Amino acid sequence: MTSLTAPEKAPPAEPETPQSKRSTVARRLTPFGYLSPTVLLIVVLMVVPIIMVIGYSFRDNVIVQPESEFAGLANYAKVLSDPDFLAGLKNTAIFITVSMVAHLVLGLAFAMMLNTKLLGGVTKALFRIVYILPWLFTIAVIAVIWRLMLDPAGVLNYVLQTLGLIQQGVDWLGDPGTALWVVTFANVWSGYPFFMISLLAGLQGIPGDLYEAADVDGASPIQKFRHVTLPQLRPVIISMAVLDLIWTSQQFALIWMMTGGGPLNATEVLSTFTYKQAFSEYEFATASAAAVVVLLLTMILAFFYVRQQRER
Amino acid sequence: MAVRVSGGMRLIGAVTAAALVAFVGACGSDDSGDTASSGGPVELEFAQWWGAELPSGSFDKIIADFTTANPNIKVKLLSAPYASTKQQLVTGAASKTLPDVVGLDGAWVNDFAKQGAIADLSKLMEDAKYDPSELASQVQYKDKTYMIPVVNFVYPLFVNQDLSTKAGVSKVPSTRTEFADAAKKISASGGNVKGWALPLDTAVPNGIQNDVMSWLWASGGSMLKDGKPNLQSPEVKSVVEYVKSLNDAGVVAPGALTMKEQDKVEKFTTGQVGMMIDSLAHINLIKKNAPDLKFTVAALPAEDSYTGKRGLPYASWGIGVSNSTEHKAESFKLVQYLMSKEVNAQLSTIANGFPGNKTAQPDLSKSDPLFKTAFDIYQQGTPANEFTGLPKSEDLMRSFDEQLQLVLTNKSSVDDALAKAQESWSSVIE
Amino acid sequence: MATTVKTRRTLAKAGVLTGLIIGALFAGLPVLWMLSTSFKGNGEVFQTPPRLITKGFSFDAYLEILGNGAQLRFFLNSYIVALSVTALTLLVAILAGYAFSRFRFPFQKTINAVIVSVQAVPPITLVIPYFGLVVALGLYNTYPGLIVTHMVFTLPYAIIMTTAYLNTLPKELDESVKVDGGSSWTALWRILVPISVPGLVAVGVYTFMISWNEYLFALTLTRTDDMRTVPIGIQLLMGQHSYEWNQMMAMSILGSIPVLVLFLLFQRRFIGGLTSGAVKA
Repeated sequence: MTSLTAPEKAPPAEPETPQSKRSTVARRLTPFGYLSPTVLLIVVLMVVPIIMVIGYSFRDNVIVQPESEFAGLANYAKVLSDPDFLAGLKNTAIFITVSMVAHLVLGLAFAMMLNTKLLGGVTKALFRIVYILPWLFTIAVIAVIWRLMLDPAGVLNYVLQTLGLIQQGVDWLGDPGTALWVVTFANVWSGYPFFMISLLAGLQGIPGDLYEAADVDGASPIQKFRHVTLPQLRPVIISMAVLDLIWTSQQFALIWMMTGGGPLNATEVLSTFTYKQAFSEYEFATASAAAVVVLLLTMILAFFYVRQQRER
Repeated sequence: MAVRVSGGMRLIGAVTAAALVAFVGACGSDDSGDTASSGGPVELEFAQWWGAELPSGSFDKIIADFTTANPNIKVKLLSAPYASTKQQLVTGAASKTLPDVVGLDGAWVNDFAKQGAIADLSKLMEDAKYDPSELASQVQYKDKTYMIPVVNFVYPLFVNQDLSTKAGVSKVPSTRTEFADAAKKISASGGNVKGWALPLDTAVPNGIQNDVMSWLWASGGSMLKDGKPNLQSPEVKSVVEYVKSLNDAGVVAPGALTMKEQDKVEKFTTGQVGMMIDSLAHINLIKKNAPDLKFTVAALPAEDSYTGKRGLPYASWGIGVSNSTEHKAESFKLVQYLMSKEVNAQLSTIANGFPGNKTAQPDLSKSDPLFKTAFDIYQQGTPANEFTGLPKSEDLMRSFDEQLQLVLTNKSSVDDALAKAQESWSSVIE
Repeated sequence: MATTVKTRRTLAKAGVLTGLIIGALFAGLPVLWMLSTSFKGNGEVFQTPPRLITKGFSFDAYLEILGNGAQLRFFLNSYIVALSVTALTLLVAILAGYAFSRFRFPFQKTINAVIVSVQAVPPITLVIPYFGLVVALGLYNTYPGLIVTHMVFTLPYAIIMTTAYLNTLPKELDESVKVDGGSSWTALWRILVPISVPGLVAVGVYTFMISWNEYLFALTLTRTDDMRTVPIGIQLLMGQHSYEWNQMMAMSILGSIPVLVLFLLFQRRFIGGLTSGAVKA
């Protein structure tokens, strides 16, 4: 069984022609030229505030008092030993992993179904519209409508009870055992369209002749999926996975408005912890320290992503 | 092969620069808060969430009347979503872009004053030769006033009379035993109805203030002693044990651990809950959404043997002045106006609250008779909210909430929970 | 043999259809509930047992929103900001993605990693210093302030995706242009961009969504109602004492309709036909 791979991408072959020094320098600067607007925006608007945040993390009494004092690593020690932070770390890990996997699976499944040749264009278009619906709404509304539906006297319990699946109404959000799963479910619901659309676009980009070649080799649908679809989608999948991990780790409004990090810290994630530090305990220094910790963890992830980019 | 690179680069640079310049130029900034030079008209910005809670256009009219009386001062009303108000104020204070006059909650005063965000009103009162004796209360930090409550909203006990009668509860409960009894009867009357709603959401932990500590204050108790936390006192312990007993008896509406104040009101309005402690301001809301609901208000039940004055929890619409404004004198004029006898009475009437000016008489003739009942309760009792003026009060409420939740879910004993709460509080209230 | 193939095909079709329907229920039911709530009277929202259509069914909520000048202004602002952000972000991201995909240059990995991780800082901690910066730059309460802010949030994602999409296109395409004497610029805009349109549309649509739905910075960076956006308008309906449920849902639905239309217009790009045979070795 021949394994199917994408046609080998030829190594870059910049035509070597005698150039004057000026053109070589210009050629070296070209990529930076393309990058210049990005770098400008990000340096001015992101790097500067981030450096300020890092600065805050090393001081005490930042913002809440007119004068702040240098505090070294004290804030980091405080944050890393705070049981709420550690609980938040654990919940965040569960939250982002489950969300990301579910997003991927659902996104891919829906994308493939929407890409099928078995149904007509109109049918597919109609379903496409329904599938992107979660995307269209601002997170506050999503949080609020899910709260409404998940209320012990709300429609979800009503339907489940009518169908006989449960006896009594379940306290979805108020029960520490179910709260995190329910909040994750709402997050999966609100986020899968991103994966679905990106994968759908990616699926469009897979050359049809690869599938034809597979058919010629007598491949089954599953084999075609494993050996054509997945490898072709790999760069897109990995990029989205990295992005989703980062974004989900910052998901704040959904959790805050559904459960506020409760009950009993069951849904306490790093973002709710940081928010409470900043705007409830007025401890901007520790909030900044927590933010820097999150930043460092993400940079590790970012380096992995960049490394695999190179190894293409 | 000529690689025409530099041309491309220049083009990119030009396009981007042009786009940015065009945008900055075309979409000019809307000037916010013109600070006029001396002598010219002054425009004040007043950030509040009150207008949205009042009948449409009524607050604008009150403000317009101010401008008529003070032609040199214009007032621009700013509003922000209530849930984000505090966070926006903190952010604005940090960059010294706070609006001139700000609506405040008493629970924020300590922290904002410490941050240097709000101005010392005692000094402004002196400068304006204002006599503060008419003010029902002032919220202070280090003996200086930083916020004046404009309208006070008391939180009496609401009782659904239809559900009570159906459950065989003959009179409105006045002691804790009667309350527990009534709650049990209502919960037993069938149809998924519960006796009491207890909102313990930790995002906005006001439930601790309104629905838990209120029991303490109704019986004359205090959570502080000499200004320091005193959570392990027998009074506080009896409150926590009482709440636990109600929970264990199954009379509390499900979802308590994440229930918000708004949910509590909805459940009462739709008849899922028989009794709740809630803001008087909701009377009109309930009547609007459930016109057929028969309910009444009463003082909070006290401990069985208690005969003293009952504390009544309250929340206020408070007002303060930004410390970084250039128009402190004019800003205080607005404060004076809103606190003046007639305006304050008018504002309280339409807000369904009680005036912050002692001499102002809200016009109860056109209001619901329940307001008269509530006003009597207010006068017979004493307003009580120990969280006002405390530092990091939201944090205090939250740490107590977390311990209470552990007690309710049987993960901690009452004594342990109170000890931990006492510890958290002591580290905040020095 | 023909019948087996045909039955297999029909079974497959039925299977896919069933899957699609189940998925549609998952995706659509909460939205259906939103729609239902928008037609209810405020007192009916929490009624038990819950009903899809209630006695107080009315369009009042919609009429209130549409008749409110301030709310309509919110919609206008959201459009202006979101459309500008989408256009500018796509432009900048295409350029950056091209650089990462087609060139090798020093610090490439570092810059790439910085761009990716810069979005990792919890926005809530960034708010205060960022706000100070915006005020200092004179962009407070302006369209450009919001636009560049949203750009900065969407660029990392957009760049990652454009890089990924451009990476799936073989370098032979560029070469063909270079061989004919074109520059990298020409190669980018004449050949690569037109082929990557499905990917770019996906990025553009999502950028629009992010900008459209963004709340925290839109609230912090604006002061007056004439600059505010739809998410703020919705949250303004969440009062201290109660929510205006029906108006909130009505506003969400109204806000989503034009976005939906936008999506409908562009979704034709997702339909195949662009790829088979487009890339010949």
